[in-house]
Amino acid sequence: MTPAGSLLAAEGLHKAFGRTTALDGVDFSIHPGEVVAVLGPSGSGKSTLLHCLAGIVLPDSGTVRYGDHDVTGMNDAQRSALRRSDFGFVFQFGQLVPELTCLENVALPLRLNGVKRKEAQRHAREWLERLEVEDTAGSRPGEVSGGQGQRVAVARALAARPRVIFADEPTGALDSLNGERVMTLLTDAARDTNAAVVLVTHEARVAAYSDREIVVRDGKVKDMLAGLL
Amino acid sequence: MTLLGPRTNGGPAGRGAPSREAAGPALPALPGSPPAGPAAWLRDLVMGLRFAASGGREGWIRTALTAVGVGLGVAVLFLGASVPSLLDSWHGREKARESLGQEHPPRPADNTLLYARADTRFHHQDIRGRLVRPDGAHPPKPPGVAELPRPGTMLVSPALKALLDSSDGRALRERLPYRVVGTIGDDGLQGPAELTYLAGSSALTERLGGSRIDHFGMEFVQRPMRAPAVVLVIMTCVALLTPVVVFIGTSVRFGNERREQRLAALRLVGADVRTTRRIAAGEALLGSLAGLVLGAGFFLGGRQLASVVTLWDINVFPSDIVPDPLLAALVAVLVPAAAVLVTLFAQRGVTVEPLGVIRNRPPVRRRLWWRPLVPLTGAGLLLTVSRDVGRADSPLNTVWLATGATLLLLGVTALLPWLVDAVVRRLRGGPVPWQLATRRLQLNSGAATRAVAGITVAVAGAIAVHMTFTGMQAGFAGAHARSSPVVEMTGRTDGWAQVRHALTLLRGTEGVRTAGGTIDSAVAAADDRGRYMDGSDFRVADSVYATVGDCDRLARIADLGSCRDGDVFFTDNLEDRAFVRPGARLNLDPPEGIGPVRPPQPWTLPATARAVRAKADDDGLPVHSILITPSAVDVGRMHQPLMNLSVRYDPRTPDAVEHIRTTAMRINPTLGVVARAENRHDGQYDSLRAGLFIGAVVTLLLIGAGLVVSTVEQLYEHRRLLSVLDAFGTRRTTLGWSVLWQTAIPVVLGLLLAVGGGLALGILLLSLIDSAVFVDWPVVAGMAGAGAAVILLVTVVSLPPLWRMMRPDGLRTE
Repeated sequence: MTPAGSLLAAEGLHKAFGRTTALDGVDFSIHPGEVVAVLGPSGSGKSTLLHCLAGIVLPDSGTVRYGDHDVTGMNDAQRSALRRSDFGFVFQFGQLVPELTCLENVALPLRLNGVKRKEAQRHAREWLERLEVEDTAGSRPGEVSGGQGQRVAVARALAARPRVIFADEPTGALDSLNGERVMTLLTDAARDTNAAVVLVTHEARVAAYSDREIVVRDGKVKDMLAGLL
Repeated sequence: MTLLGPRTNGGPAGRGAPSREAAGPALPALPGSPPAGPAAWLRDLVMGLRFAASGGREGWIRTALTAVGVGLGVAVLFLGASVPSLLDSWHGREKARESLGQEHPPRPADNTLLYARADTRFHHQDIRGRLVRPDGAHPPKPPGVAELPRPGTMLVSPALKALLDSSDGRALRERLPYRVVGTIGDDGLQGPAELTYLAGSSALTERLGGSRIDHFGMEFVQRPMRAPAVVLVIMTCVALLTPVVVFIGTSVRFGNERREQRLAALRLVGADVRTTRRIAAGEALLGSLAGLVLGAGFFLGGRQLASVVTLWDINVFPSDIVPDPLLAALVAVLVPAAAVLVTLFAQRGVTVEPLGVIRNRPPVRRRLWWRPLVPLTGAGLLLTVSRDVGRADSPLNTVWLATGATLLLLGVTALLPWLVDAVVRRLRGGPVPWQLATRRLQLNSGAATRAVAGITVAVAGAIAVHMTFTGMQAGFAGAHARSSPVVEMTGRTDGWAQVRHALTLLRGTEGVRTAGGTIDSAVAAADDRGRYMDGSDFRVADSVYATVGDCDRLARIADLGSCRDGDVFFTDNLEDRAFVRPGARLNLDPPEGIGPVRPPQPWTLPATARAVRAKADDDGLPVHSILITPSAVDVGRMHQPLMNLSVRYDPRTPDAVEHIRTTAMRINPTLGVVARAENRHDGQYDSLRAGLFIGAVVTLLLIGAGLVVSTVEQLYEHRRLLSVLDAFGTRRTTLGWSVLWQTAIPVVLGLLLAVGGGLALGILLLSLIDSAVFVDWPVVAGMAGAGAAVILLVTVVSLPPLWRMMRPDGLRTE
């Protein structure tokens, strides 16, 4: 049963890699426009939680529901289609296609969704402007700085107007100044579009941009807000 | 051992740096100093070898891939290095077993025998036959024969035995009426597929074609190849070996990007750029050394197939294929050296930083101006000498031609990188897979272009050589197609009775329409004792032809008017032979040849002999001859009289020529039989063209294998990115198509260039031999098809690893 009003919810997620248990009965939910930080030490299972929520991997047991859809009951093609249309992603490394220009990278999710090239690029250019990296449009990822590259990645995650953005250590490779700028732009843009953000991080400084924090430890989740209440 | 490179003390770089003393309390100096020069090279190469050897499963896979790639190339190079010894063995066995006439024939003795050629041809296959008749108890034996066959029996090669035992060989069993009593050993065969027999004959005499010999083994000089043939051979070598070299170059780059990441870690602990490059070269060295060993294995295993391959009528034993020691040593040294050089070269465009940052140099736009110069120079050389080559087959012309053809062939590879760059640079838009592929090629088309260059040379060379062979073959085919359905037979005879008997047999043979024959010999003036040719012991007399035949046959040679048996004529074009006049005393056995002068065989040209007008023969030339009807001369007194039989047959009768050959064998096994309409070159050219096509296809597959490894490696290096794209929901087919386009674009461009270059080269080569231009379109289509197959192969083989790498494992950062 999805918690009332939640956009994405998981219940009783179990996931093991061999004999290592990554998730051990995790429950999770997020509402539209909400930013939830998933905190935890290295190897605690927070990235696995993100992958299960996004339908990138299937849990061994438990369910993930997105609106009225049971993500865990979908086949691979359906989950891929869902990720193309409704989800956006920001990762720490390797997220931009090195052969494409920054503009083409941002336009890529739109084009994968069937949007015509010119329309996709016009839209992508708006997002580059919004994230203050419009001057990188014609450059390839290898020719821009790490901070600029990450902003391009955020633009790409937002370009298809996703309803949920998954950000896995989005500032992990940046200095603090660039990291803060990226987080500001990401969360502002998400709130403007009423998108939910699942933010995986191990930095409290980054988690401070969220509305709510949960901590994953040894595969179990503790909701910090619930604890306070 | 330290990973630090040579320290720099002082100099401009050291002036601004704080001294160790200024930085704090002095530390005790470490003993020793880093090696420099060759010692540093050795240290770093060995270190690289150790890294490659201890790189775990992943490292071993990369080393194994390199070794397999290099091994395949080395095997082909070893095969090329075996050609000289292969031909030596082949010709050597032929020389050892042959003795068709000694310069000074021995007298009959206990250790002599009569030996004669008794070749035949059966359904387009040549069968080498020899007859023996020992004079005594201790005759010489050819290699591979323990005991000479007795009269009526024969020894056969295993291949001929298999043919005779098969249902296809029934007609051949009728033609060779000898009982098989054993097989000829390998020493007496040119190859395992050779069809040959050695038969004992009690009827063989010197007059019927036997040569008396006292030993086997003869020297004969190989005719040097003509310039166009040399050019074809060189082009074939270039076309087939260049891709191999390219493939070896590609193979040693396997795992390059991964290696560079490891080198970055070495930079972090103080290795300088030169050191890391040498270590990288050392890593590639291990793969190439393992490839050498593997290549030797591939070669030894592959040469076992030699026994089933026949190329240009050459079939050899596996043991004949032994690399020339010098060439093999060169391969063993140059391949590892090439691995080191290629790796060092590949490192030029890469900056390995201590923090693991690897930046490719900004793409350099390839300049065009020098690239067309290479093929144009080649074409120029070919055009310059093409007018003279037919007349002057000089070594200089050969070198110019070979250089021109090679430059033209290699020139297309110089054009290819520019062409790919120029085309790819202009590609814009398109669907996502197309865009991903073109952008990737725009960023770095070097690896793909290098591999495709091999395809380009192979295809261009194959098309050009094919065209040339097709032109030559068509020329022969045209000449034979115009020929009449006539079989001609030539051999020694002892008298007119044999000709009469032969004609009776031939006229009774299935499919024969008409048969006729003459006996030809030479006559000279009775008092002509001959003179020695300059610098030799060969004596010649001033002789003219004497042709013996019935009136019907002679009437085809000249306008006889009336003719009866006993008449003699001479053609009216013998004005320069004053001794040919009615009533003249002539000698039927002129003193010609080597050795003592034989007693003269006097004969008088009858006073009634008439001068008659000669007709043109089949070649359009008039005969110069004394024409004698059979009863006017005793052929037995003539010197080495030759029986010439001519049979016209019905080409619609199945196997008419085979029936005639069988009859010829009954008349005299030593008769030479030639069917004018039979094109012997067809089989030779077919086998050569088939071999060339197979070679080119194998080369394409080899390059395809290299492309597969490069593509999979590239996917592996981008597995994190692939996982990210999968997270976006990218369809598998989208990335699959991008792999296909990424392979297809350079391959298609390379094939277009190859077809253009190959056709141009083929036209030039055909002009060298004054042949009409024949474009072998099926071969062009076949090559293009093989190229397309390579594209599909690379794509299909790359898909499973692509899909495997699209899993979320790549997203894990912890």
